[in-house]
Amino acid sequence: MTDVVSAAERGKPQGGRTAIRTQGLSKRYGPVDALINLDLEVSKGEVVGYLGPNGAGKTTTIRLLLGLARPTAGRAEIFGIDCQRQPVEAHRRVAYVPGEASLWPSLTGAETLHLLGRVQGRVDAGYRDELIERFDLDASKKVRAYSKGNRQKVILIAGLMTRADLLLLDEPTAGLDPLMEQAFRHCIHEARERGQTVFLSSHILSEVEALCDRVGILRGGALVEMGTMAELRHLSALTVEATFDGPVPDLTGVEGVSSIETVGHVVRCQVRGSVEPLLQALAASGVHELLSHEPSLEELFLAHYGRRAETQGVTADAG
Amino acid sequence: MPADPAVSAPAPAGRLPSTVVARLTAKKAARSGALWGYFFGICVASSALTYLSSYKTRAARENLVASFGSNTALAALFGPAHQLQTVAGFTAYKVLGFLSIVGAVWGLLAGTRLLRGEEDAGRWELLLAGQTTRRGAAAQALAGLGAGLATLFAVTALVTVVTGRSSKVHFAVGEAVFFALALVCSAAVFLAVGALASQLAATRRQAAAYGGYALGACYVLRMVADSGVGLDWLRWATPFGWVELLQPLTAPDWLPLLPTATLIVALAGATVHLAGTRDLGASVFPDRSSAPMRPQLLNGALGLAARLMRPTVVAWGAALAVTAFIFGFIAKPAGVALSGSNSINRVLSHLGAHGAGADAYLGIAFLMMSIMLVFVAAGQVTASRAEEAEGRLDHLLVRPLSRWSWLGARVLEATAVLAVGGLGVGVFAWLGAASGHAGLPFSSIVDAGLNMVPPALFVVGVGALVIGVWPRATSIATYGLIVWSILVTLVGGFSNNNHWLLDTSLFHQMAPAPASAPNWTAGGVMTAIGAAAAMVGAAAFRRRDLVGE
Repeated sequence: MTDVVSAAERGKPQGGRTAIRTQGLSKRYGPVDALINLDLEVSKGEVVGYLGPNGAGKTTTIRLLLGLARPTAGRAEIFGIDCQRQPVEAHRRVAYVPGEASLWPSLTGAETLHLLGRVQGRVDAGYRDELIERFDLDASKKVRAYSKGNRQKVILIAGLMTRADLLLLDEPTAGLDPLMEQAFRHCIHEARERGQTVFLSSHILSEVEALCDRVGILRGGALVEMGTMAELRHLSALTVEATFDGPVPDLTGVEGVSSIETVGHVVRCQVRGSVEPLLQALAASGVHELLSHEPSLEELFLAHYGRRAETQGVTADAG
Repeated sequence: MPADPAVSAPAPAGRLPSTVVARLTAKKAARSGALWGYFFGICVASSALTYLSSYKTRAARENLVASFGSNTALAALFGPAHQLQTVAGFTAYKVLGFLSIVGAVWGLLAGTRLLRGEEDAGRWELLLAGQTTRRGAAAQALAGLGAGLATLFAVTALVTVVTGRSSKVHFAVGEAVFFALALVCSAAVFLAVGALASQLAATRRQAAAYGGYALGACYVLRMVADSGVGLDWLRWATPFGWVELLQPLTAPDWLPLLPTATLIVALAGATVHLAGTRDLGASVFPDRSSAPMRPQLLNGALGLAARLMRPTVVAWGAALAVTAFIFGFIAKPAGVALSGSNSINRVLSHLGAHGAGADAYLGIAFLMMSIMLVFVAAGQVTASRAEEAEGRLDHLLVRPLSRWSWLGARVLEATAVLAVGGLGVGVFAWLGAASGHAGLPFSSIVDAGLNMVPPALFVVGVGALVIGVWPRATSIATYGLIVWSILVTLVGGFSNNNHWLLDTSLFHQMAPAPASAPNWTAGGVMTAIGAAAAMVGAAAFRRRDLVGE
C-alpha cells in the first residue's frame, strides 16, 4: 500500500474481494452525530481492528452493519449484500459477538448454543465442542448461574462455532481472564488461517496490535486514521528518552518536540518530523544516554485522545 | 505542609446516601401505587354512582337484596353482601372482593419486582457496595414498598372521600378512609408476601409463583368460608377473610386489622432476617443451577417463544381452568338468584344479553374470564417487547432470521395460546356446569369460550402495532387499553352512557355469551382489525432501530 493522504483513502484495502464496504455511512441520534460519513472497506481474509474512546461510534458502526440500526445516510454492504435491504442474506455469512451477553436466564449454556446454532443454520459441531473445552465452559449450567465472564464465553463460542465468513466482534473479550484472552487470540489466528475476515472492536490495545493487519481509529463519530501499524507509526511521533549527566535542558520550543516529561535527569518527549533540531538541543547539554522507539498502538491511541481534547473537547456519548 | 487546595475532599452525593435503596424503591412503588390508586378510586366512584342511577326505587333495591343478599354461591365468589339496599352496602359488596384480589396481585408483583427483580438485574450489587448491608437494604426496600402502599391508600382514600361528599352517596369522611384502608389491606399483605418470596426463590418468576400459590390458597380458603357450609370461622384464617370481616361502610370493625398488621410485621421481619442469612443473588430454597440438555422446541423463534412462555401460560391456563370450572359449577344456583333481579337483567340487556338464569349468570362470568384472557394477551405482548428491551433479541436478529419472522412467530404463538385458552375455558366451564347439573349445552358454553378470543387477539394486534411504532410504550399502551376497557364496562354496564364511549371498550364489542349468541361478525371484525394492526406493526418494526429499555 502506498502512502496516502486521508483516512478514507487509507481505509481501502489492496484489491481482492471486499468483505465490508460502507459509503458515507452516517447515523444521528437526535442532536448527536454518532457516526459521520464513514467510508470503509475491508478485504476478505483481513483482520481489522477498530478503536475509539467510548461514544466514538464503534458499536454504532457494527449495529449498522448488522441492520440492527438504520443509517441516517449512506449504505453498507457485507460481501456485496446490502445490510439494510437484505439483512437475512448478509447474516448467513456473519457471526456477531457483542461485549455484553444478555441471554435467556432459564436456558443452560448448551441449550443456548443449540438454539443459536439452529437459528444460524450452520454449526461446526466438532469445533463447538473443542471451543467449550478450550474456554473451559460448564455448558450444563443455567445462564442465570453464570458469571459475566462465563456468559461472555457462551456468546463467543456461539459466534466462533459457525465458522462464518465474517466475524464482527464488539469488545468480545470483556470479562474474560488473561488465560481465556489467550484462547481467544488463538481462535482469531485460526480464523485468519482459514481465510475468515475479522472486524474487531476492542479497548485492549495489545490485543488489537497482536491480531490485526490494519487498524482504524474513530474519533467523535469520524474515522480519523486507518492503516497498517507501520503506516500509522510512520504518520505519528517518535518517542525519545534522554538521560543527562547534569541538569536537564529546557526543550520547550524545540521544533517538532511535544509531550515533554522530566523525571530527575531523564527527559522523555515525542518528536514529529525531523529529529535534527532535538539532537542539536541535546548535544549542547551533555546527553549521557539516548533511546528512541516507534510508538506503540497505545501511544498512538493516546496521542489521538490528546489531540481530541485539544481540538474538540468531549465527544458525544453515542455508542 | 498545607493541603493542596486543588485536591478537595469528596463532597456528599445528595441526601442521606444510606437511604438510597429506600428512596429508589419508594419512587418506583409510589408511581405504580398512584396509578392503581386512581383505578381503585374510579371503581369506587363508578359503583356508587351507577347504583344510584340503576336502583332508584325502594322496590328495585329490595329486589336486589332478595336476589343477592343470601345467595351463598355468589357469596363464595364475591364475598358476602350486607345492606344492599344502601349505596354504601352495594359499593362495598361490588368492589371490596374484586379490588382485594387486584390489590393482592399488585402487591405480589410489586414486591417481587422491586426486590428479587432488582437483584436479578444486578442493580442491588451496586447499591449494596454503598453504605448499607443486605439486611439494611431489605429493610429499606420494605420501607420503599410501604411508601408505594401509602400512595395507593392516599389516592384511593382521596377519591373515595370526594365521592362520599356527594349528597346522594354520603359516606362520612371516617367511613370513606376506613373503606380505603380495607381496600388496600390485601395489597399490604401481599407486598410483604412478595418480599418474603423474593428471599426464598432464586428468580423473580419463581418468587411470583410462590406468592401466587399463597394467594390462590388464601382465596380458596375465603371461598370455603363464605360458601355457607358452616365454616365461617375460616374467614379468620385468610387475609381475604380479614378484609371481609372489616365490613367497611356497613358495620366497621377494627379488630381484623390486628392479624393483618401482625402478619405483615412477621413477613417483613422474616424478609429482613433471611436477607442477612443468604448471599446476594442466592436463595433460601436451593436453586437448580444445572440442568440436562433439553433441546426440544429450541429450533427457532417459534419454539423459543413456546419454551419461554410455557411456565407463564401453564400457570394462567390452570387459573383459568379452575375459575371456569367454579363458575360453571355454581351457574345453576347463581342463575336462580339472577333471574329474580330486574336490575341485573337490565345490566345484561345493556351488554346485549337476552338470556336468563344460568345463561345470564355465565354471560357475566365469561366477561370476567375474558378480562383474565386479555391480561394473558398483554403478558404475551410485553414479554415480546422485553426480549428486545433487554438485548436478547439481538442474538436472534444478527442471524438469518428476519424481524418479520420473529414478530410473526410471537403473534402466532400468542394467537394459539389465546385460542386454546378460550376453548379450554369453555370446556372447563361446561364440565363445572355439568357437575352442578346446570343442564347447559356443550356447544353454547364452548362457543362462549371462543367468543372471548377476539378481544384478546385485538390486544395482541394493538400490542404488535405499538412494538413497531413506539416500542417503549408497549406496556403502558396494552395494559392501558385493558384498564380503560374495564372502567368503561364497569361504568357503562350500569348506566346509559354515550355509545361512542362504550364502543371504546374491548368488552362492549363482545356479546355476553352464553346469555346471548356470540356475535361472530363483531368478533371477526375485531380479529381482522387486530391482524391489520399487527401487520402495520411488523412493517414498522422492520424499518426502525432496535431499542433498549
